[in-house]
Amino acid sequence: MKIIYLADDDADDRKFFEDALKQVTIPTNLTLVSDGLELMSNLEIVNEPPPPDIIFLDLNMPRKNGFQCLEEIRNTPKLKDIPVVIFSTTANEEAVNKTYLHGANHYICKPASFMLLIKAVETVLTLDMWQKPQPRKEEFVLEFS
Amino acid sequence: MPEYKLSETIKELAFQMEEKEKRDAELVIANKELIFQNEEKEKRAAELIIANKELIFQSEEKEKRAAELVIANKELIFQNEEKEKRAAELIIANKELESFTYISSHDLQEPLRKIQIFSTRLFAEESENLSANGKKYVLRMQDAANRMQSLIADLLAYSRTTTSERKFEATDLNVIIEEVKNDFKEVITAKQAAIEVGEMCVALIIPFQFRQLIHNLIGNALKFSRPDKAPHIKITSRIIKGIQAKAQNLLSEKEYCHITVTDNGIGFEPKYNDYIFEIFKRLHDKEKIPGTGIGLTIVKKIVDNHKGIITATGELNKGATFDIYIPST
Repeated sequence: MKIIYLADDDADDRKFFEDALKQVTIPTNLTLVSDGLELMSNLEIVNEPPPPDIIFLDLNMPRKNGFQCLEEIRNTPKLKDIPVVIFSTTANEEAVNKTYLHGANHYICKPASFMLLIKAVETVLTLDMWQKPQPRKEEFVLEFS
Repeated sequence: MPEYKLSETIKELAFQMEEKEKRDAELVIANKELIFQNEEKEKRAAELIIANKELIFQSEEKEKRAAELVIANKELIFQNEEKEKRAAELIIANKELESFTYISSHDLQEPLRKIQIFSTRLFAEESENLSANGKKYVLRMQDAANRMQSLIADLLAYSRTTTSERKFEATDLNVIIEEVKNDFKEVITAKQAAIEVGEMCVALIIPFQFRQLIHNLIGNALKFSRPDKAPHIKITSRIIKGIQAKAQNLLSEKEYCHITVTDNGIGFEPKYNDYIFEIFKRLHDKEKIPGTGIGLTIVKKIVDNHKGIITATGELNKGATFDIYIPST
């Protein structure tokens, strides 16, 4: 059972993600949070192993955004190894560079169709990112079309 | 008194008399001369007075001019400052416009994506509840949403050509062309297109922008191909002097990298040579040939960013040629 966190302030996007995850054959346990502050307070109480297998992180969120969360996660010893996949509306160069620099594992542009979303979620779940080095910059952004 | 002495005295007197008369005559002449000289001096003095007055007048005029110049100068300085202010305001307004384009395009993507996802789910998951017409409407809706997506993507690409950093690097155009060919490898195979690349020069360019430029030109050449003819695209480049170029507005002694992209596609009527570079301008029904009308505007913008010139020449159903001239140093 893979433990998945999704931090996204958009209710529709959270619902799409939840529905897409149900279509994936891999058994999962999903925790949904609606901003960075909620994500970090959820992660703080992760004291009993296992920690989440993957955090899907939106960038533009109120109160605490994705960049801040990523930095905090990478600077917190007990959280720093958790794979973080950026899940954002656009892949502009600045955001991609910044999140790569701060140690995100992959970057996904939210797909424009439900089928592609399922494909994206499924692909990420099958990646072996735990304690693996960051991919090369060219392989950082995952494209689904 | 002896007689001889008298006559001597008379002689002497006569002589003295003559001498006096001579002196008198000389004095008269000298006097006349003096009078003349005096008159001349008075004339000179009068002339000097006039000249002096003239000089005073000129001096005053000069001072007036100087004062006027000081005023004119102040006016110019003021105008210059005003112009600088306007220029600074324009730069700010431009930046605002650029960031507005960027932010609006970015933020528009989010609701659009929702429309796309809901419509794909509506079609996939609620299909049995939809009539044939209902399904058709959903598909039309998806088409429209997809068109809007490419429009936003192109607008973003366009705004990036103005907002992004402009770092010029000496770049091998062959590398860029190879990368772009790779972008299109599926279309190239499907349409059996031939892309002929001549000897390419190394050019001083903004690499990622030039990649976009070549991408758009090759993309267009592949898109606007004739249905009955496999696309044949020729790309050449060479260094020339401005004077050797067909295009106007080039410095005759300056060296330019002249890049030509020619295709054998559907071309266009010569009257549209300039029109095709304008934003959102299209020559074809979007149902038949998709597109946003931004591609060549981006190309033009990128050439502008390189301080270059681009011209398009087309002939209907024969093909199109794009000539690009960018300074080689």
